[in-house]
Parts: sequence; C-alpha cells; structure tokens
Amino acid sequence: MILGTVPEAVVWAIYLAPVASFVVIAALSRTARFQGTSEYAGRITIAAIGIAWLASLWALDSAIGNDGESLAFAPHTWATLFDLNVTVGVHLDGLSGIMVFVVTSVSLLVQIYSVGYMEGDRGVSRYFASMSLFTAAMLGLVLSSSLLQLFVHWELVGLASYLLIGFWFDRPPAAAAAKKAFIVTRFGDFAFLLAVVLIWSKTGLLDIAAINDLAVAGGIGAAVLTGFTLGLFSGAIGKSAQFPLHIWLPDAMEGPTPVSALIHAATMVVAGVYLIARFFPSFEAAPAQILDLVAYTGGFTALLAASLGIVQTDIKRVLAYSTISQIGYMVMALGVFGFVAAIFHLFTHAFFKALLFLGAGSVNHATGTFDMRRMGGLRGYMPITYWTFVIASLSLAGVFPLAGFWSKDEILLDAWKYEKPLFVVGALVAGMTALYMFRAIFMTFWGEYQGGEGSDDEHAEVHGEPHESPRSMALPLLILAVPAVIAGFFNLGGGFSHLVEGALPDELRHGPPDIYGGIVAVSLVMAFGGIGAAAAIYHAGRPSAADVRAKLGPLPRVVEAKYYLDFIAETLIVRWILNGVIQRAAQLVDTYIIDFAVDQFAESVRRAGDAMRRVEAGYVQGYTSLFLAGVVIAVVVIAVLGTGVLER
Amino acid sequence: MNWFDQIHHIGPAFALLLGAGVVMGADLVRPGRAPILSLTLLSLLAGFAWAIWQVLAGTNGPAISGAVVVDEFALFFTFLLIGVTAAVVIVTAEGLSRAEPRPEFFALLLTAAGSMVLLAQAQDLIAIFVFLETTSVSQFVLAGIARDDRSSEAGLKYLLAGAVAAAVLLYGFAFLFGLSGTTSLDGIATFVSSNAGGTELALVFGFVLVAAGLGFKMSIAPFQAWVPDVYEGAPTTVTSFLSVASKAAGFAVALRLFYTGLGGADTFIAEHWAALFAVLAGASMTFGNAAAILQTNVKRLLAYSSIAQAGNVAVGLAAVAASGAAGPSAVLFFLATYAATNLGAFFCVIVVSERIGSERLADYAGLIRRSPAVAVVLLLCLLSLTGIPPTAGFLAKLYVFNSAVQTGIDWMVILVAVAVLNSAVSAFYYLRWARTMVLDDPVDETPFRATAPVQGLLGLAAFGVLFFGLAPSSLLQAAQRAAANLL
Repeated sequence: MILGTVPEAVVWAIYLAPVASFVVIAALSRTARFQGTSEYAGRITIAAIGIAWLASLWALDSAIGNDGESLAFAPHTWATLFDLNVTVGVHLDGLSGIMVFVVTSVSLLVQIYSVGYMEGDRGVSRYFASMSLFTAAMLGLVLSSSLLQLFVHWELVGLASYLLIGFWFDRPPAAAAAKKAFIVTRFGDFAFLLAVVLIWSKTGLLDIAAINDLAVAGGIGAAVLTGFTLGLFSGAIGKSAQFPLHIWLPDAMEGPTPVSALIHAATMVVAGVYLIARFFPSFEAAPAQILDLVAYTGGFTALLAASLGIVQTDIKRVLAYSTISQIGYMVMALGVFGFVAAIFHLFTHAFFKALLFLGAGSVNHATGTFDMRRMGGLRGYMPITYWTFVIASLSLAGVFPLAGFWSKDEILLDAWKYEKPLFVVGALVAGMTALYMFRAIFMTFWGEYQGGEGSDDEHAEVHGEPHESPRSMALPLLILAVPAVIAGFFNLGGGFSHLVEGALPDELRHGPPDIYGGIVAVSLVMAFGGIGAAAAIYHAGRPSAADVRAKLGPLPRVVEAKYYLDFIAETLIVRWILNGVIQRAAQLVDTYIIDFAVDQFAESVRRAGDAMRRVEAGYVQGYTSLFLAGVVIAVVVIAVLGTGVLER
Repeated sequence: MNWFDQIHHIGPAFALLLGAGVVMGADLVRPGRAPILSLTLLSLLAGFAWAIWQVLAGTNGPAISGAVVVDEFALFFTFLLIGVTAAVVIVTAEGLSRAEPRPEFFALLLTAAGSMVLLAQAQDLIAIFVFLETTSVSQFVLAGIARDDRSSEAGLKYLLAGAVAAAVLLYGFAFLFGLSGTTSLDGIATFVSSNAGGTELALVFGFVLVAAGLGFKMSIAPFQAWVPDVYEGAPTTVTSFLSVASKAAGFAVALRLFYTGLGGADTFIAEHWAALFAVLAGASMTFGNAAAILQTNVKRLLAYSSIAQAGNVAVGLAAVAASGAAGPSAVLFFLATYAATNLGAFFCVIVVSERIGSERLADYAGLIRRSPAVAVVLLLCLLSLTGIPPTAGFLAKLYVFNSAVQTGIDWMVILVAVAVLNSAVSAFYYLRWARTMVLDDPVDETPFRATAPVQGLLGLAAFGVLFFGLAPSSLLQAAQRAAANLL
C-alpha cells in the first residue's frame, strides 16, 4: 500500500465522474455554443474517465493493502419501505478493485483512441455521451453493494450497449444487430430478475455480502439456492454471450470498433463472469450440479466459438468468436473452482483483446474494410499496428511468457484437478485459438495487399495506399501492448490470487497457484501447433486451405453456417415465438376483446344520426355484457382461489 | 359539535364546491368578463389553506353524523387532489386542448375535485355512493365537453359504462346494508368481524359487486373496457385528470372500504380480497402492457399504460397480509408519484399535439431537437413510468412489490414475478417512445416551446419525479402515517 486508505468519497468518484461526463455532454450537445462542434465531448469524457482511473488506482491500492478483503463502507439508506431498507453503497474488495482498474484503464485508452477513430462522424457527442454512460454503468455494476443496485446497472450497461451497437442506426444491419442483442440478452435478464425476486422474497435480503454469508452459513434452502444461482447464471449466459445465447455478440460487431473493444471484448461481456464470481460463495453452497453446469456450459461454448472463429473472413468476427470462446474459458474456470484463474484470465484478456480490436479498427482505418480477403501485406504499411497485433495474438494464443500464457495455464490446471474432460476441451481450444489468430495475421498482414475497401466501410471516404493510423490511435495500441506482455507476471508470487481471494470467505480460498510442468508442456505444444498449422495453411499454402477443406467433407459448411444455431434461434425463437405467438396473442386480444367491446360500438356511435337507438342496441350490449362478464370472472376467481390463499 | 365545526370538518371540499358555485354565478353576473380563472384558483387555494388549517388545528374524527371523517388518510388525498386539480386548471387556462377554458369547465372540475375529497373522507355507504356519483357525473360531462364528435362519443360511453358500474356498486352496497343493517363502515366492520353464521356467502357476493364497481373507477381489468376510447376521445386535459385524480379517488375508497368497512386483514373476507385483487392486478398489467405495445397513438398508449399501472397499484391492494400498513402506504406513495409522472407525460402530450397537431407516436421523432425542455420532461416521465432509477416510479414500484413480497406467501411472490416481468415488457413501449424522441430525425425542424405557466408545471412534474425518487423520505413518511390511520 502506497497511499492511505481510500476514503469512500473517492470510491464514489470512480462511478460519479463518468456519470457527470454523461450528463454534461448530454446537456451541452443541445446548446447553441456546442452545436456542430465535437472535440469538447471527447475531452470531457477523457478527463472524467482519467479522474476515475486515478481514483481506481487509489482504490486498488487500498484493496491490496487490505489483503483484498472488503473495506467497510456502510451502505447508505436510500429509502425505507417498511420492512425493506433500500440501500446503495460501494463495495470495494480485491475483486471489485481489480475490476474498476480494468474497466477504467481500458475505457480511458479506448476513449483516447476514439478521438481519432470517430473524427468527422456527425454523432460524436452522442457517441461520447453513450460511452460515458456505459463506463459509469459498468463501474456502478462492479461496485454495487446490493443486488438491486447491481441489477439496475446490469440493465444500464445493456442499454448503453444497445445504443452503441446501433450507433449508426441508419444502417439496417446495425439497427438489427442492436435489436438482436437487446432481445437475446433479455431472455437471460428475465431469469436474473426472477432470481432477484426469489432471493428477496425468501430471505428478505438484497445486500450481496449478506446473501453470500447466509448461503455459506447454510441459511438458504437448497431449492431456493438452486433457483437463485440458476437465475444468476442465466443472466450471465445472456450478458456474457454463452451458449445458447451467444448469437448476439458476432452481430454486435456492427457497432463502431472502439465500442467492440471496450464493451464487447474487455468489460461488459465479462460482467457475467464477474456476477458469478461475486456470488461465488452462493454458487459453492448450492448443489454441486450447478457448478458442473457452469463448467460444461463454459467449456462447450469455448469449443463451439473457437471452431466458428476459424472459418470467419471478417476480422472483427474472428475476434468476436474468440471473445465468446475466451469468456467460455473463464466460465469453465469458475465451474471447476478456478475463481482466481477466471478473474486472472478476465484481467489479462481485457488488455490483449482490447488491443486486438483496436488493431482491427486501425486496419479498417487504413483499408476501409474488415474483410481479411481484401487485406494482406499490411505489415509493411502499418508496423505499429502489425507488431502490437502480433504481440496480442501471441498472448491470446498462450505463448510463454506473455500474459495469456499464465492465466490460461491456471485455468487448465484447475480443469485438470477437478474435471479432466474439460482439461481436454481447454487444451483443444488453446490450439484452435492459436490457429484462428495466426490465420488472421497471415491473411491480414502477410502476402500481397488486396486493395481494401468494401461495403462495411466505417469511414465513407476514399482509401488510397494503406497508412499507419494517427498518433491518438497508435498510442493506445502501444500502451495496451505493455500489459498484454506483462500482466501475467502479477500472479507469479501469488499476489493476484491473494488479492482477489480476499473477496471470498476463508474456507473457500485456495492460495497461490502451482505450476505443473506437464500442463505447461501441453499448453505450449497446442499453441505452437496452432501457429504452425496456420503458417502452413495460410502462409506457405502447403496444404492449401482448399485442400484442407476438401478433406474435411461437409464439416466446414456446417461450421460456416454457424451450426445453424442462428437460424434456429431466429426462426424458432424470434420469428415463431416472439413474432408469432406473442404478437399474435396480443393481436387477438386487440381484435377480439378490444374490438369486440369497443371498436364495434365506436362505429355505431359515430353514425350519430340515430345515435341513441344504436347506443341502446350496441353499447349497452357490448360494454355492459363485458362489465357483467367481469363480475362473473371475479366471482369465479373468488370461488376458485378465495380460501386458504393467505396461508404461508 | 356546532354547525361550524361540521363545516370545518369538510372545509377543503366545501371551499371547492362553493368555488364551483361562485364561478358559475360570476359568469351569470358578468357574462364573458368574469375573472373565472382567478376565482377557480382562489377556491383551490382556499381549499388548500383550509386543509392546512385542519392539519395545524389537529382536526380529527368524524363529522356530519359519522358520514365523513377527517384523518391523515383523507388529508393525504385532499392535498393530492387539490394539487392535481390546480395543475389541470392552469393547463386548461392556456387553452391548449380542445377543452376551452369556459366557466362551466372550471365549475365542473371543482365539483369533481370537491366530491373526490369528500370521497376520501367518506365513512358511510350512502356518502360514498353520493360522492362517487357526483364525481362521476361531473366527469361524464367533462369528457364530453369539447362539442365535437370524438368528445361527445367519449362522454356518452363514459356515462353508459359508468351507469352500469354504479348499478353494480349499488347492488353490492345493498347486500352489505341488507346483511349488516347499517350503512356506516364501522358498523359493517363490526358485523363482518362477528362473523354471524350463514351470511358469509352473501357478504362475499356483495363484496365482489362492490369490487367490480370500484374496479371501474380504478380502471383495472376486466372493468377497464371504457378506458382507451374515453381517454382518447376526451380533451387531453380531461384525460389527464381522469387518469390521475379519478383513479386515486377509486383506490382511496377501496382502501377505506376494506380496512375500515370489511374489518381489515383479520376477517375471513381478507382472503377473498387478496385473491381477487391479485388476479385482477396480474390481468390488468398483462393486458394493459400487451395492448400498449401495439399502439401508435400516444393517448391510447397512455390509456393502456394507465391500465397496466393500475395493475401495479392493485398489487398493493392485494397485499393485505403484509405487516402493518405496508400495502396501503405503498398504494398511497405510488398514487402520489404517479400523479406527478402521469400529469407530466399528459401535459407534454398536450403541448406537442397543440404545436404539431398530432398524437401519433411517429410524429415525436426528434422532439429533443425541436423542443428540448418538453422532451426532457417527457423522457423523465417515461423513465419513471417504466420504473428506472433514480426516478420516483422506480421506488413506487419497488415499494408496492415489496409489500407483496413481505407477506411471504408463495403466490404473492408469483404475482410480484409477473409484475416485474411486466415492467420489463413495458420498457419496450415506453423506451421506444423515448428513443423516437431522442434518436430519430425530425421531419420538421421548427422549434417550439411551451408557454411559461405550462413550462412551470412541466418543471414541477420533472422536479417531483426526481425529488421523490432521490429524497423520498418525506413523502414516504406522509404515506405511512396516512396509511396507519386505516388500521
């Protein structure tokens, strides 16, 4: 600990600084003085998030000084609703300390990058306002002391994500993607909401620490705890794009690339991992099948998404599937008691994946396309982007001694210890990760330049020779490359473990990780195997991609069709259930109940000449019979339900 | 108790009703040149001052042979109703909607408001029925006051639907009176508690009829069929009054009737009460939200939204098994915050439809660029209706739902689950409206603004929505004290 213990006000400042930025930009953007200008929005956002970043350093420092255990900030009463004290508070421990550090760091760099990237877009102030809103909501989410507070921010990050995916809402794919993300995650959020109601009604508690304590003490019945953790996990599946709700994330790439880097790679999509981690004591107290479900969902998602990553031609979609796959890794880690491993991977992944996305944005800036088939040969034109991209890819592939190597190893270790089949899955995914990343590198940066430009140009301007991006974009790349290399060293002495395990009760802590030589060997073999395969196929062309494809039979086509999962989800869920059943039901209600009683009569009254006679004929029959039918319904309700209902 | 004491007990209502007479009289004396607006506001001010006087003098207890009572419950509604009426009067005076600011309009509004205040005070079946009818008749005329087809149609429909409801209510009252032999709520409570053998079935039947009659006022399903047409057809100022004041009065009577008249949570009728209102609450919000999603006209949307919101309030009615006054106080808090929220939303609709001549949702595109102030207030109100913090609507919903959750009864928890899912569904149409205002490009860029008095009211509504959301303790305490009066 370098500084004194952080005062509560400073922790609040982490959250309130971006809130203020959002409010100020929203207010200023409507005033005459700032109409049409946009530089101010970026500056305000960067300043606010810079403040939040400094405050988060102090908070992290205090969390370290406190051995990662919760700093005692008493929650504040917002309203007393009879038996329920609605409180708001900040909860700072090793887990949330790391999270605020990750969120503010990545957000700050992404905002700096955005200044260059978004230059000239007519919605810049809306962009930065939404980014501020997102950052605030995300920080509120990780700092929440109460489940209600957490849920509200959970919804707010979803809203900000919706606004930013659909930032270019005049482009139909963007608007559709925003809607898809919103609707798909809603399924998870419904279950999450029910979990909140369940725990609130059965325990009367909304305070996160109190719920965890009660669960650990065995004060919550197995059935309730099962329902509660399943609800939370469903929320996590939606937000963190796990199977079967993963389908929204690749489409979300329609948003501006810095948005993808911040929201759909480094922060919001790992909120589900954070949620499970925050309630990890409850998950451990729940029946063991829950964590098994978590582990296998994560493992399956990791494998599924990695295989999809191999067949993409759009560089952002490669990264999107990679993100799904890596979050699957984290979820799997949580399921095999790898609390530290999951958060450690979240930590390292945030940096190198944000770097990869910003690199992809830089490439788009240079070529006007995300289609890797139109790129090639870019390493000569844009060395900074190239080298940082390679570093991040090596880190993601898990090459010693970069950040991803260490965190991935911890996950594999936990899988080996507790669930051997998942170790196999993890090792396979490691190899596939190296393969798709280096496939992307060879297609993008090696070979001959293919001319760039395409229909997915985020900057509708004419592109000539590819060029390195401006300094405001290159600088964040260089800065992010540092943690992509060194972030893995933080747990060498078990320091990171010690910090985040402070968030758990004593009996759930595992202590610093071991290193098994065998696992290191497997992971390195897989990484280099993947890289080697990518080099052979996509650089040397021996065997060529077409040959490989031919040998695999129908498999590539199935994978390219995303295993038909999107088709199933869209046809079955959206078209049939949502549009079909629900909308149809609503229309039936509208047609038969409303029209029957009201519109039909309205017509008759509108012919006002012989109004009264018709009124007597139509109105009294329609409305009165409906009203009296209501009385009958009420009698039936009473007859059926009216006794015994007040028994608990 | 001397005659003045009697008057003093109904002072605020007396001032309003007297004001109605004065307004009409003044127009007779000086047709077209009387200071109608000043007289109306003066009368409201007098009612308000009298209510303050009652508070300061500690006036309490029954009057007029036990027909009415002064207590904190009645005073809570007195202040609420006078505030709502004053806001509606001011907006009407601006001549924005199809309801012209004529003397009879103000007189009817004062009559309705005065009767509603009395309704909140009523302790006797006859008084309840009489005041309910005075309220209703004034509102029938108000709905049809604009002298065009849509308005006349709305007035007529409201009248006929109201007549059926009144008949059913009266029939129910007849059962209660016939069994207990008294019209006083206290007397009926004594009878219900004594549980005289063999009368239970008849009592329950009477109660169901009464609940249906009041369900009309509260606009909960399945007694809500009149709402969309009347809300759409009536002048918007009248609609705003109906959606807030009339509904509040309906809930006030329902609460009074149950807790004072049916013996509260300890009698056998509580189970029937809880079951009935739980089902109706769930039905109202589900029906209201499902229908609201399909609307393209903002007034119709708000009409269905008000049915759904009535369902939310009814959750508090169903939570009779909650400890203490949790349920009723939640209802009061909800009604008060809903008044600020819904009036704010309707006033924005009034301003917009007067300026752009449209009630279509699509015509709200880019409102934030044309009229930032109106758009921001409407945005806040929509957030509050959805129940998004830090607005008052969030706390109100949480409070109502909490009262049900605290009963610890499984199916009450299921009701809350239905309610929160409904809230999530309602976000689709409230936030779609918000999105249209903020993100879409306006067809016509001409800026406009509300007149100064309306802007003041909009500011007040926005302030209320935020203030009661951020610093709710004063209103919460008032609601809890008022509700404690019932027990």
